Amino acid sequence: MAWRDDWRRVRAIARKDLTTELRAKAGFNSVAALGVTILVLLGLALGPDAQALRNAAVGAVWVATLFAGVLAFNRSFQVELESGALEPLLQYPGPRWTIFAGKLLGNLIFVTLMVAILVTAGVVLFGVRLTAGWPSLLGVLALGIVGLVVLGTFYASMASRSRAREVLLPLLLFPMLVPVLLAATTASKALLGGDLMHDAGAWIRLLIAYDLVFLIATFIAFEHVIEA
Amino acid sequence: MAASNQTFIIAAYAVTWVVLLGYLLRLVRKGRRARADYDRFAHEHGEENRE
Amino acid sequence: MKPEGRLTPASGHSPDSLPARPPRTSAWLAFAAFGAVIAAQTFAILTSPADRDMGHLQKIMYVHVPAAWMTFLAFFVVLVFSVRYLWRRRENDDLIAAAAAEVGAMFNGLTLMLGMIWGRPAWGVWWVWDARLTSTLVLFLIFVGYLALRGFVDDAQQKARWSAAVGAIGAINVPIVYMSVTWWRTLHQPPSSPATLDPVYTMGLRVNAIAFLLVMIYFIRKRYEIARLERAVEHMAQAAALGGP
Repeated sequence: MAWRDDWRRVRAIARKDLTTELRAKAGFNSVAALGVTILVLLGLALGPDAQALRNAAVGAVWVATLFAGVLAFNRSFQVELESGALEPLLQYPGPRWTIFAGKLLGNLIFVTLMVAILVTAGVVLFGVRLTAGWPSLLGVLALGIVGLVVLGTFYASMASRSRAREVLLPLLLFPMLVPVLLAATTASKALLGGDLMHDAGAWIRLLIAYDLVFLIATFIAFEHVIEA
Repeated sequence: MAASNQTFIIAAYAVTWVVLLGYLLRLVRKGRRARADYDRFAHEHGEENRE
Repeated sequence: MKPEGRLTPASGHSPDSLPARPPRTSAWLAFAAFGAVIAAQTFAILTSPADRDMGHLQKIMYVHVPAAWMTFLAFFVVLVFSVRYLWRRRENDDLIAAAAAEVGAMFNGLTLMLGMIWGRPAWGVWWVWDARLTSTLVLFLIFVGYLALRGFVDDAQQKARWSAAVGAIGAINVPIVYMSVTWWRTLHQPPSSPATLDPVYTMGLRVNAIAFLLVMIYFIRKRYEIARLERAVEHMAQAAALGGP
């Protein structure tokens, strides 16, 4: 069954990426550490007033996630680049979209773990008071992570192979993530505040639409972009 | 407020013209260089020049 | 329509096919376009009455709004030709998209500067995070990213394919960005500027918009001509290096 083979290929690529990352644990650990460092810097720069920090918490966590995420996305293509394994991977029989899907899956897991650490650190460092609505917060986080990873993986497939990958990836990616940033932060702040105006629902719908639109668009575009 | 408003109105139109004419100048200069390179290459390789 | 080579179009990227002669952009178009801008601005400035709230500050609208419209139009051109390139892989489509992107970025920068010049006396500050100004700033960053990508990729084919993908996907985001920034602002306050324009101002706005459109058409054509010339030189240099045509 063709679907079974494709799915197996996707999982294989994801597993390969994750095991190289986790085996070289330096990869995940240092990216997560960088994210926490960014949070600390933001805390120092925006504090020490407790209320100011509480107001800044959601934004700080997301900004730290964006910057740390950029490193993760570039690294996800770096392994192939350094070992010259991208060409053989392309020639291996099977549809190209499975490469993208495999990378996506690997990055999703990586970034989710990283965000878990950053959110925990953010709640602690910025003195966030969790309200009853916090499970919805997880939903907002998940949707935001999907948007971030889809576009991050897509742009990294190009930026990582260009001349100035460190600056090109954030330069391309961050303006595109403005809707995700706005939606995730506004909805999270609303939920943490009890969501009296029921604002969060509209933003969550925007996130869902955004994720769907770009999931489809990047899968289509990836075919054109992955040629060596 | 009318007087200081006038400053901003003039500034707006000045900026507009500076930017548009500046870009025009950039294109004209680039165009001359590109056309010169092209004509030189085309001449060297036996193509007929444009009238 | 947008210019194509007047002779048989180049097949694309193979260096051994003789490049078609790049189009020549008429200098008369430049004179006509800029003349139209002068005429339109004179007309608008002389005939528009002072606004009830803003006074004559309103006159900045005649440059700010057309610049904004040209920005979005340019981005639309980038979208169309990016998709065309992905579909048919014709080098000229990529070059038109790139020309439109550069011209669009220029109009975008102008829009932002004029927005700030208008905003300072009107609101008292150089910047407000209002929906339109913020969206325009984000759009500017998307343009800059597109142009940076082209700058950092050397291979012509890869540059074309990647730019087209980035251009198309960036364009899809433009309405989403605009919508999300507008929601972000209206949560706490209603939209500040009225959507309708008093009819006494619309004629002036329209003629200025048309004049700007002529300027933009000229700029894109000229920029495209330059790109075709430079690409033709590249092809000929490659052909020469490989041992002659």
